[in-house]
Amino acid sequence: MTNYQFMFFLLSAIIIIFSILTVTTRRILRAATFLLFVLVATAGLYFMLRFNFLAAIQLTLYAGGIVVLIIFSVLLTSHISQKLEKASISKRILAAIAAIAGAVLCIITILATEFPTVTPNPPETDIHTIGQALLSTDKFGYSLPFEVISILLLAAMIGSIIIAKKRKD
Amino acid sequence: MGYSRYDFTPLLHSIDQWLYSVMSPAWALIVELTLIGLAFLIFYALVGLFLVYAERKVCGFIQNRVGPNRVGKYGIFQTIADFIKLLMKELIGTKDADKLLYNIAPYIVIICSFMAIGAIPFAQGLLAIDFDIGILYIISVSSLSVIGVLLAGWSSNSKYPLIGAMRSGAQIISYELSVGLSLLTIIVLAGTMQFSKIVMAQENGWFIFKGHIPAIIAFILYVIASTAETNRGPFDLAEAESELTAGYHTEYSGIKFAFFYLAEYMNMFIVASIAATVFLGGWMPLHIPAWNGFNVVMDYIPPVIWYFMKTAFVIYIIMLFKWTFPRLRIDHLLTLEWKYLLPINLVNILFMALIVLLGWHF
Amino acid sequence: MFEGIPLTWFLILATIMFFIGIYGFLIRKNLITILMSLELVLNSVNINFVAFNKLLYPEHLEGMFFTVFVVAVAAAEASVAIAIIINIYRRLDKIDVENIDEMKY
Repeated sequence: MTNYQFMFFLLSAIIIIFSILTVTTRRILRAATFLLFVLVATAGLYFMLRFNFLAAIQLTLYAGGIVVLIIFSVLLTSHISQKLEKASISKRILAAIAAIAGAVLCIITILATEFPTVTPNPPETDIHTIGQALLSTDKFGYSLPFEVISILLLAAMIGSIIIAKKRKD
Repeated sequence: MGYSRYDFTPLLHSIDQWLYSVMSPAWALIVELTLIGLAFLIFYALVGLFLVYAERKVCGFIQNRVGPNRVGKYGIFQTIADFIKLLMKELIGTKDADKLLYNIAPYIVIICSFMAIGAIPFAQGLLAIDFDIGILYIISVSSLSVIGVLLAGWSSNSKYPLIGAMRSGAQIISYELSVGLSLLTIIVLAGTMQFSKIVMAQENGWFIFKGHIPAIIAFILYVIASTAETNRGPFDLAEAESELTAGYHTEYSGIKFAFFYLAEYMNMFIVASIAATVFLGGWMPLHIPAWNGFNVVMDYIPPVIWYFMKTAFVIYIIMLFKWTFPRLRIDHLLTLEWKYLLPINLVNILFMALIVLLGWHF
Repeated sequence: MFEGIPLTWFLILATIMFFIGIYGFLIRKNLITILMSLELVLNSVNINFVAFNKLLYPEHLEGMFFTVFVVAVAAAEASVAIAIIINIYRRLDKIDVENIDEMKY
């Protein structure tokens, strides 16, 4: 087993265990903490694949942004003594059957598919390449989605301020 | 150049090759990781002890008193004595606290500062990992520590920690923006995020001199914003002792309290060393173009000493802040960030971009 | 293959994570936990994009950019969702999906 395989197994064990805990724990802030661990382990996976920039984005936006936002809303809307009520057994069984059936179907399909084997001699994804591609209008440039995303973020910001604002009525 | 006589790269490379020749690659990797971890752990403890002592001495100096002077000569063993006392204290928790999160929170805070310190260059070749996204990495890692603070405040099941955590969360998230933007100003000037390249680019003058007025503005903004981000005075209303007892770590005692305390000082050290590296040249000696004799003399001072001198200077400024200015009110604090620092920062970046485009920098 | 790790491993990991997220989405009643399950789903899709990028088309960066945009969209979505949740809490004092039935009448 190579070091990379060991790291992959470690990270995927963390991801799977804490994902399950996220959806099954009955304390809401613990769920948010476990979600944080899942996201940090995913960032580790990106670091392993040498997408450093993406991993840093994952840490900043997902772990440092969205999880903090979720924790803040938990702090505002619930009390420490509250526990989430358990879903009924029939609901849990049905949901588990649906999830497991879907997972098995997908995994069978993945295993049956032949993927082309490429020898990856990846050019180092340094920050310059990313910056050039993000702002170029060539074939592999992402100028338009970049601008669209910025408008989307602005719209989301204004929208959430207006929704969450106290109305005088 | 003269400073490369203190280059650590050959030494570390020979250690690396020796380890790989003695044992199998997997074991060599494990041994190397353990050694680096141990080195950082020891460094962490030493810097923490020193900073606590320095803070008390600086405070005493400003308030016109002696400061700790009983344990050892000039009281230098005072913090060690304090630490032993903290270790022997009983660990007290609150009733109905969320035990798991209560115990995890100090570790989240301390691991975040530990992760950040790995990317800081102490001297030529003396850094744990040289990312091409160095600055972004440090910003992203330090943005995680707020989660530890929020968890600590919530899981204590007590009202003062909760208020303190909410305040400090809002404060850290707001001031993160200014920290990131003021560093971005220098990234525009340097054209890279890699710490080793940033330091090398300051060979013929530090960025604070090279970047004219925008760099100086960015430095001032960075020092203000990072003081607020590390929850230090005059922005320490998260732990305003007169209204909130001690903020988010009120209910912690013993070694877990020591973790929060240590992480606070280490965050100050990290913030100061980023300021030293990005604005003041890091381990690079002071070079003035065309003053060759002066530059040669400066090169004889080892880079590690330059680095620690600059970091100590920034830390001293931050400590002076704490003991001179009165504490702000929470609405003033947020007004300062969103209405003054952020717009100034945005204009400053445009200004810097203009200077770089026109080639007005040195 | 990436350093001895085949593509299928990444895909299986992402699949398991995706369906754990779906399971959480189905059994949870609290709006915030539903949002968390949704984040799990989005995250698993991101792993797929990145793995395809690195292991099949290493010369381009499309998967990486798609992931960056997905993360940005997730941030926008989370901010709006949490604004809505806070507003619902203000009006109804509860954030369980079963309580939000005002529009029924």
